[in-house]
Amino acid sequence: MIDGLVQLFIWQGLGELVSQFLLPNIPGPVLGLLFLFGYLHIKGHVNEPLAVVADSFRQHLGLLFVPASVGVVLFLPDLQTHALAVATALVVSVVLTIAVTGLVLKIFWKATHHDE
Amino acid sequence: MTNDRLPISEIWVYLSGNPLFALVLTLAAYQFAFMLYVKSNRHPIVNPVGVTVLIVTVGITLIDMPYKQYFEGAQFIHFLLGTATVALAVPIYRGCNDLKGKLLPITLALTIGSIVSVASAVLIATYMGAGDNIVGSMYAKSVTAPIAMGIAERIHVSPTLTAVFAVATGMIGSILAPYIMNAIRLKPWWMRGTAIGVGAHGLGITRAFSINDEAGMYASMAMGMNGVLSAVLLPTILNFMRT
Repeated sequence: MIDGLVQLFIWQGLGELVSQFLLPNIPGPVLGLLFLFGYLHIKGHVNEPLAVVADSFRQHLGLLFVPASVGVVLFLPDLQTHALAVATALVVSVVLTIAVTGLVLKIFWKATHHDE
Repeated sequence: MTNDRLPISEIWVYLSGNPLFALVLTLAAYQFAFMLYVKSNRHPIVNPVGVTVLIVTVGITLIDMPYKQYFEGAQFIHFLLGTATVALAVPIYRGCNDLKGKLLPITLALTIGSIVSVASAVLIATYMGAGDNIVGSMYAKSVTAPIAMGIAERIHVSPTLTAVFAVATGMIGSILAPYIMNAIRLKPWWMRGTAIGVGAHGLGITRAFSINDEAGMYASMAMGMNGVLSAVLLPTILNFMRT
């Protein structure tokens, strides 16, 4: 498990460095993700310790954004004033996103695969 | 010898000033919330993140702990967000093996999907008169929270509000997704997975995996690709528009 964490930290660190000095527009962890993806692609398989750590992160990803979300206490008055706008924007946007993504997939797939 | 003992109030002062307090509060609340979630058969409305945030928020309000002080302890959990983002490379890589011929439709669909997502949220919030703070935080809200917060820092809006909106989006999306997809008659699992990964990111994936493995894998991949694409394009486009 330590082995897997070390691998992740190394790619994250590399991503932070490149973000800091070369590509300031892209968050370091995203660059780390891309580097690790490239590495896995070259290697052709996911090593066991890395798979274990990655899967446990995926399972409890939610826990990690609790500290930031609790910051909602700082914005409560603002959010209360605009509650309706916030709720409408979130709900409508979610419905449209899922519907449009699904429809584009379906239509494009049908257009390119007449035989199925 | 009695005056050697610490008065109870001093113990409290010591405890609440210690980072351990925020850590224990957060982890214990999450464990409780997760238990509730499992007991409810993983119903998206009992979302563990939502419940945990509620417990912790009420908790620190009751004991009058400023958010800043809470975060000093909780930052150790917060730090791991970046690491978890890097770890997303693994599900994306696994999904790629199965991808042949679907890469183009998926890329096309998620690009259009995320443009619709950002545009609709920002336009509605602006039109309905929400303040700059709120509108700004709508930009990155349909990206998975760890990446969303990184983007928020880059485009100079509140990472906190962005995270809150991202979590809310995930909850709304994973509740509504089955109805929306049935309404547009989207049947193949990989298409359903992709749509829910773009629309409801992390929580959508959890939901997808609990229904079908193929859907879960495509959801992880769609979420990851959407996150990377948004992280690369959003700050560049916005900074360009602002200059």
